[in-house]
Formats: sequence, structure tokens, C-alpha cells
Amino acid sequence: MDADERLLLRPGPERPAVSVRWDRDRLVTARRGDTVSLALLDQGILETSRSAKYRRPRGPYCLQGDCGTCLVRIDGLPNRRACLTAVREGIRVEPQNRLISGPDPTVLIDTMMRSGMDHHHFMVRPRVVNQIMQGVARNLTGFGTLPDREPEHPARHEIHRPDVLVVGAGPAGRAAWSVLSAAGLDVLWLDRRDRGGLGTEAGPPPEALLPHTGVFGVYPQEQLWAAMSDVPEQAEVLRSIFPRQVLLATGARDPIIPLPNNDRPGVVAARGLLRQLERSGARLRADDVVVIGEGEHAASLAEDLGTEAVAPERVDRIEGNPVEALRLRDGRRSCRLVALAAPPAPAYELARQAGASVAWESGGFAVQRDDDGRCVREPWPVWVAGDMTGYLGERRAAMDGERVARALLRNHPPASPSSPSSRP
Amino acid sequence: MPRRSFVCRCEDVTLLELDHAIELGLSEVEELKRYTGLGTGPCQGKECMSVLVSHLVRRGLVDPTTVQPFTARPPTEPVTLGALAAGLPAEPES
Repeated sequence: MDADERLLLRPGPERPAVSVRWDRDRLVTARRGDTVSLALLDQGILETSRSAKYRRPRGPYCLQGDCGTCLVRIDGLPNRRACLTAVREGIRVEPQNRLISGPDPTVLIDTMMRSGMDHHHFMVRPRVVNQIMQGVARNLTGFGTLPDREPEHPARHEIHRPDVLVVGAGPAGRAAWSVLSAAGLDVLWLDRRDRGGLGTEAGPPPEALLPHTGVFGVYPQEQLWAAMSDVPEQAEVLRSIFPRQVLLATGARDPIIPLPNNDRPGVVAARGLLRQLERSGARLRADDVVVIGEGEHAASLAEDLGTEAVAPERVDRIEGNPVEALRLRDGRRSCRLVALAAPPAPAYELARQAGASVAWESGGFAVQRDDDGRCVREPWPVWVAGDMTGYLGERRAAMDGERVARALLRNHPPASPSSPSSRP
Repeated sequence: MPRRSFVCRCEDVTLLELDHAIELGLSEVEELKRYTGLGTGPCQGKECMSVLVSHLVRRGLVDPTTVQPFTARPPTEPVTLGALAAGLPAEPES
């Protein structure tokens, strides 16, 4: 592919080249700092899997670890999020949930089931047809195959008893961590993303951050928060965390906008796309991308991407596979990427597992908290800050993180007289 | 490829299929999840929950002051069985 056909412009200082092997034999030249998703997007490789039911082509959407359609096989391990994985020399990336490379005969399902498929009634009788269908369906909808080999190093288990567990290293989490660590508390600070994905104008995140570490569950009865560190080429670490207090700053997620063909490879979330471009020091040609969304949120993302925003009502459908254009009610706009900018929806899941309540507010479920920022009191106080309390945007999220961290400090109990190991 | 508007891309649930389930008389978040499979794929509702509820609110099917999402159980982030196994207590010596 010519350099001209590449999606990305790289105006800054040139970064070292990194070779990525895609789908057995295609070599892709990426730049250090890119994620696998961005490296593939740059080369016009937008399809990374097939969908579960209609077998439609799918590629990365949210570009920040939420949506699950960029799952690929990396270096022999299935179900890796391409959008959260930084490229490294010689990395092998393979598509998943596809029968064969190239044309896929199962796309016929999509064409044949034009008016939809209700699996409660689809091929249920006669029984033999149902059995065949079940067998085929199970094979089609699987997620990858088992890893090529056993891991070189078995997973480890670590137990933590910090004063405060801080989850999230976006603007709110970073501001909160600064306040808490300056006060001398023992803080365990986690984020599922890598360092490259967490840099800001102020520079890379502080060394104290434990990246690649996603909190996957809260177990109030055990007073336990469970996380896994998943650093590439290292043993996984299961972390059992028994904190005295918790501060959550898990941000907000980018919902899809229901429009015809909104699943086409090349339809991405505007916020995620912008973050990916920032981390790679790249930008797009104005002609190549168009934003769909309304109001100030969409307008500001469009401005940052150097393009215009189109209201969803004006869109008739998305055309091409991968994306070639937006068919508008009053014309056509060519593009290679469509960036969706729906109002972000708070990431409430962990807070709710911990016992917080949520309420429907302007397009998402916002975590409810008291004036200080606390959403749970027992068995540990849990504080929430930033976009998960209702979308604030970066500047206000950072201010909120600082404010809530100060409230947490005022509440922090003096060191318990008993030894820490006497706690669970 | 036929034109489809997806609400949930993980489980391939379209707006048409969601409206079909609503026509059958279902209207609650939990019911619609169970009937259509929406929200039960790899993302576990992170992408589609707010799309679903926005649609139900717009159609007047749920009360926005009381509507709740379905329960988001662990794991909310990917975790391998190998890592979970590392947390088991050591087996007693036989």
C-alpha cells in the first residue's frame, strides 16, 4: 500500500518503525507507541472479526477497551484487546471468529435473514434441524480457540492492604492520586490501560501507577476488590485487594448510535479515536473522517479531529465495507472513518457491585453520591469522582477528582492500633 | 449486505429486533435482555445499555426516574482462568 493511502499523517518527529505480522503473512509497519488497532487502521485493515449471529464484518469501535469487537489473537493468545495492546517488534496478530481468510461463505446468513432472526423460533423444529443448527451456531459464535501453548510463567497471586485503592488514571483518578499520595497515604493506583495510553500534556503518568491492571470484581461480603495485571510477555498477577477506603474514577463509555450500518468496520467512537491519535502523535486528513453527533460534545470532538459533525437525524445510512461514505438525507459525504459522538455513559459497573445506586441522567446511568462524593459507607467507604458521576469532560473531571480526594482525606481514619494483618 | 441498525453489536441485536420484542409485550430492561440476548456478549452491556434505555425512555416504556440497568456481575474486565486459579489456597498435602 502506498504511503499516500495510509490513513494517518505523522507530522511530529519520526518514531521508530515496528513490524507487525497480520493474519499469517502480511507485514504491517507501525510506529512505536501505536496500539495494534491504530496500526491496522493506518493500513486500511478495518475488519478483525465476524459478528456472532449475522456473520457481518466487524472491527474496533470504542478504541478504549470497552466494546469487545477488536478482540484478536496476539502471539498465540486469544481474545486480546487490540485497542489496548501496544505494538512491539515482531508481534503476531490474527483475526478471530472467522472461518477462513478472504471471502467467508457464512455471510449468506446476513443476506438470507434480511428481516431479522428470532432465535426463539428459528429452526427449532423439526428436532433434527434444530440439532444441526445448534451445532453450527455453536461453532460460528465461539471466541477464538485456546492459546497455542501453556504460559511460560504461571500466574501469581498478590495480596494488598492499602489505605486507599484508586481505580482509574484518567483526569479524575490522576488528580485524586496526587492529593492522596501527597498526604502520605499508602495508595494502590490501578488502570487497565498501558502507560502510553495514559499520557497527557503534563507528561506520562507517575511511576506509582500500576498499568495493565483491570479491576474485574467487587465482593463486599469478603471486603475484597479483585484485579488482574496483564502485562504483555509477563506472568499474569491476580491481585486480592483489601483496602480501607476506595476511590473510583472509571470514567464513561461511548455508546453506539443506532443508525443503518452502524456496525461497519470503520465506524469508531470519536473520543477513543482522538485518544489513539494523541498517543501516536498522529492526525487524520479532514476529508477522511466525519463525526456523527449532536450539540457541544460532538462539535468539540469534531473540531479536535479537524472535521465537521453531522446530526444523526441527517444520516440516512453508512455506506461501504469498510466505510466509504455517509449517505445523508441531503447529499453524500465521502470518508474512510465515521466517528460517533453520543453523550458518554458513566461506567457504573464496579460502583454498583460495591453497593452504590445509579440513576438515569441525560443518556446514562450515573453513580449517586453524597455531597462529599461518597457512594458507599460499608464495609469500606467508596468515593466516586469524574465522568462516572455524569459526564463532566476532562477539566471538570480533574477538579472533581481533587475535591473528592480531599473529602476522603478528611474522612480517613487514623492508623488502626491492631496490626494490618489482623484485617481480612 | 442488508441495512441493519444495531443496538448491541456483540450479540447482533438490531433496532428492528428490539422493536419486535417490544411488540410482543416486553418492555423492561431485564425482559428485553433475556429475550434478545442484548448485553450478554463480551462487552456485557458497556456499549448497548444506555442505547437500550434511551430507546425505552423515548418510547415512553419505562419511567426514567426509576429505571435501573441489569446487574453487572464480575468479571467486568477480562480475567483468565489461570489468574483466578492462582488465587486458590494451596492444596493440602496428601
